[in-house]
Amino acid sequence: MTTVRAAILVLLAASFGPVALAQALDYQRPVQTAPQQDTIGGGYKTPPVQKPLPRDAWLQLLDVSLLAAATGVAVWLVLKRRSRKALGWLSLGSLAYFGFYRQGCICPIGSIQNVTVALTDPHYSIPMVATAVFFIPLVVALFFGRAFCGGVCAIGAIQDLVVLKPIQMPRRLDRVLGLLKYVYLGLAIFFAVRPALGRDFVICRFDPFVSFFRLSGAPHMLILGGAFLVVGMFVGRPYCRYLCPYGALLNWCTRLARRGVTITPDKELDCGLCTGSCPFGAIDKMRAVRKDCLYCARCYKACPRESHP
Amino acid sequence: MTPYRRAAWAAAVLVAACVAFLLADYVVAATRAPREAGLVKSLQEQLKSDASLAPNLAAEQKRITEARLARKLRDRWLAWVLIAAACAFLASAKRSIRAPQPPARASISVPSRDRQGAVPRPLTEPPPLDLSFVDTAIAQHGRTRESAIPLLQAIQTHYRYLPDEALRRVCELTDVTPAQIAGTSSFYAQFRRSPVGKHVVRVCHGTACHVSGARQITEELRRYLAIPEGADTDPSRTFTLDEVACLGCCSLAPVLMVDGHTAGRLTPASARNALEETA
Repeated sequence: MTTVRAAILVLLAASFGPVALAQALDYQRPVQTAPQQDTIGGGYKTPPVQKPLPRDAWLQLLDVSLLAAATGVAVWLVLKRRSRKALGWLSLGSLAYFGFYRQGCICPIGSIQNVTVALTDPHYSIPMVATAVFFIPLVVALFFGRAFCGGVCAIGAIQDLVVLKPIQMPRRLDRVLGLLKYVYLGLAIFFAVRPALGRDFVICRFDPFVSFFRLSGAPHMLILGGAFLVVGMFVGRPYCRYLCPYGALLNWCTRLARRGVTITPDKELDCGLCTGSCPFGAIDKMRAVRKDCLYCARCYKACPRESHP
Repeated sequence: MTPYRRAAWAAAVLVAACVAFLLADYVVAATRAPREAGLVKSLQEQLKSDASLAPNLAAEQKRITEARLARKLRDRWLAWVLIAAACAFLASAKRSIRAPQPPARASISVPSRDRQGAVPRPLTEPPPLDLSFVDTAIAQHGRTRESAIPLLQAIQTHYRYLPDEALRRVCELTDVTPAQIAGTSSFYAQFRRSPVGKHVVRVCHGTACHVSGARQITEELRRYLAIPEGADTDPSRTFTLDEVACLGCCSLAPVLMVDGHTAGRLTPASARNALEETA
């Protein structure tokens, strides 16, 4: 187990190298396709700023450190403090900051494609933020599991809020639908490694919730997002469980995790209250299935043996 | 209908109204857009031949822009209302779902424990006992020390437990002493000193049932009926939970009996159902 984890860490570090080197490339893309001053005519003046300025460096650093800090706090809240309430507040804060304030960008889910492009296209310069945001939750998951999903992910948080009366999905259906995320991950990588013109950032384009964070969006995406939320009232976090491509990566990393969610630490009742309380079907035979566990801490809340801090 | 449920419905109606309005607004704007574009285009065409139409075009464009900006502002406000209404709906719906605690039938009316585990008081005080039976039993079984056990058995059969008032009356009228009653009634398992529920549930704790989870069944039923620690009857005196040694049908383990009815191969859920069917 330790060797596999070490191997993956080395792999991640190896892929981090070229991505970091790409930072050195000068990021200049001349605007050619847009109509220029002369073609428009009629005394039109091109505005001085043609492309949005990048976010200030210190603000980018703040984003990354907030993500790292939130992931750390989520690990502590779930594994040590075992508090559903505090975790709920953390994920609300993440929803407010990474969702509504940062408008869902940048997020690790979409950064899969940026990193893939950076690895395959030497002319693509990946922002440092995208790299860091991609790697931090994965490395954390290698040691402590998917704490990112429970406390930090804005897309997860908005779905967690709408969980109203979750049904237990039949295990077989759950497993079959769960395969969709690997298909999606494959598609995302396929569209990312294509040459620059045919490249398509599908994950971001078909993110069902980002139009909520921006309070505007294409009508079909808004309707899709609304449908996800309505389904999410009865099926816990459908996007996370069945579609999220980053969830697939976290799933793999979490299998190697050193520590993970343990439902009853000392003495158990075998009452099954935790199984009933898990909206994600991640408790099998009264044990947490770590790779599917989304670190929401609902099982702690339902447990009669657990103290409620 | 609880106030939470009413609030949830109101919020849901508001959400639906917002969505309907946003959709209608979008559809209207989408159908109007090509017509406006055509209008502007035709004005631009005419402008090439007739320069005096320039103010018309400018006015038209200004009108269209203003209408679009107004729609954007309107939709943005509506989106915030929608978000607020959705939050209100979720909050109240979650509460209204949480409110009627265990899925107990109304007739059982199982009071739920609050967070600290405090148990609510019994719903109904027992009616004052009719002690005339004690007098007839004494007349029938005699007043000597030897008649203690037949007396207790008669009282137990009649009241289904040994009420303190009845025992006190026995001591007053016969030679039986309180010490003798205390000793006898606590020695034999057939006597009980606390009131019994309407139905007696015997959960088998024999070897076969024990290994197939009788402990979990009992725990679940205690939780479900909100039976306080150390007691065996739920506060509404509907069920008395009894752990018995063996019911003699080990092939059905884990098994319980509600009055005369046997339910076997239990899970915590089916044990609850077995109780519900009786009540």
